[in-house]
Amino acid sequence: MLCEVCHQNEATIHIKEVRNGKIVSHDLCASCAKLKEEQGELGVLGFNLAEVLFKFGKLSLKPDGGEDPSGGGEPGGGEREGSGEAEKVSELPPCPACGWTAKLLCESSRLGCPECYRAFAPLIEGAVERFQRGGFHLGKRPGAAAAGKTARLAEIAKLKRELARLVSREEYEAAAVCRDRINALRASVAGGAEPAEE
Amino acid sequence: MKGSIETLLRNPLGFLGGPAGDDGIVLSTRLRFARNLAGHRFPGALPPEERSAIGETVEAAVSAGTAPPKGRRTGAAAGRRKKAPGASAGSPDGELLVFEPGAMERIDREVLAERRLVTDELLRSPAGTMLLVRPDETVSITVNGEDHIRLQALRPGFRLAECLGELNRIDDLLAERLDYAFDDKLGYLTASPTNVGTGMRASAMLHLPGLVLSGQIAATVQGIGKLNLSVGGAFGDGTDNRGNLFVISNQSTLGESEEQILERLAAVIRQIVAQERLARAGLIEKDQNAIYDFVGRSYGVLRHSYCLGGAEAVKCLSGVRFGVDAGLFGSLTAARVNELLLAVGSAHLQKRAGRELSASERAARRAALCREMLKNA
Repeated sequence: MLCEVCHQNEATIHIKEVRNGKIVSHDLCASCAKLKEEQGELGVLGFNLAEVLFKFGKLSLKPDGGEDPSGGGEPGGGEREGSGEAEKVSELPPCPACGWTAKLLCESSRLGCPECYRAFAPLIEGAVERFQRGGFHLGKRPGAAAAGKTARLAEIAKLKRELARLVSREEYEAAAVCRDRINALRASVAGGAEPAEE
Repeated sequence: MKGSIETLLRNPLGFLGGPAGDDGIVLSTRLRFARNLAGHRFPGALPPEERSAIGETVEAAVSAGTAPPKGRRTGAAAGRRKKAPGASAGSPDGELLVFEPGAMERIDREVLAERRLVTDELLRSPAGTMLLVRPDETVSITVNGEDHIRLQALRPGFRLAECLGELNRIDDLLAERLDYAFDDKLGYLTASPTNVGTGMRASAMLHLPGLVLSGQIAATVQGIGKLNLSVGGAFGDGTDNRGNLFVISNQSTLGESEEQILERLAAVIRQIVAQERLARAGLIEKDQNAIYDFVGRSYGVLRHSYCLGGAEAVKCLSGVRFGVDAGLFGSLTAARVNELLLAVGSAHLQKRAGRELSASERAARRAALCREMLKNA
């Protein structure tokens, strides 16, 4: 999609604003958006995070790919964008846990797995600091460590399928063992203790 | 319990039901926590078979926390089973309705979206998702949407603190049974970095005809944007503010506690409510005839049309609602207007008809419904 102002560059910034009580959206290139922003023409309602990440991600990386300790330029400070820096972003190695890439992050504004936060830290931190109100979590934390509980619940689900299969084949002895195992796991999940070894 | 849309439709007011507050300016409050399971890819990157495993794991954790004390309880589990989240006051928590949007008819899915139980994004890709919802719709849990788990509390009126208390109870209960993806510095890790930290999005739906008619809305919206909050319409993906309905929500999720975020949001909403009240009073004082005309025309269209589009219906309902709030109608209640606001949705109309309807059929049925429901106003 081309920028609605210059009709020349690709529109990479998508903005909503209110005009005469109606929400209207704009598709702009970075330089026209910056111009509009400077002229105070945008009553911004929302932003496309993918573009923010991409834009700011580029700014927060030095040309050599290292992290800029200053955290990069101001929002909309497109003057530091260089044509080669877009490639720098995609040169971050993929997430070792899930294979997600920086390019996918920039396109979708989504991550592949919790580990991606580590893998793309330079890219995410630069962006997060700009649209969040701080870099540290100050809210609630999960209660007592629930380590292993997810695995036990997954095991219960698996055993339930196995139980249905055994019952349908009339293998009642094996089914009884399976049922007891499910009950033990359920008790451990509800009570927080490890299941007793058989 | 496997859910049926018919069960939900027994609440004609959906999320707009219950006691009205704040002069009817804040129609509803919604709070949502995004949570993910450690050691798993986020839903968008999950292969289908793993998605269903996540669904089973979460459902097991939810049912372990919400199961009513009956037959299935056995042995050691019985004595230690947790009370259902928010199960006080005899609410039927154990009976969460379970929906699998991927296996549902399109219209049924859209009914869920019109009732604010699923997002538009989930409508577009429902495969492998699951929705658990309390029959009164005040609490719902979406599995495998953008994040593994989205807990939602939805209440009529302006009730942020109540929603937070409710969600915290359920969240704590699930946290005892599930390993959440959590980082000491970044908090709850979410599929999108816009939700990282608290994973909390709080929003309120406001009816602001006074600010729109008096031309103050653009300045208000700009002001809100500067306070790190976001404003959008109540329809579509927040791009459609038909019916003078606006949704105000927190933009940032990291760097403040849940309570701090809500305090900031509540302060701004209280201010907007005050401005809206002033704007309405000003309009009535300045040009009473114009307001009577606005309300009267809105009522006239709803009462006498035979072909009514969705956007026009919502716009006119806004006018009528303004009139109800200003005491211009004798017997028409805000609840009746809210009921219509939900009932004129395309999916609700089709569900009521029991079949898919063309746009012109919908327009005719929408008009008939409005004529019928407003005839004694």
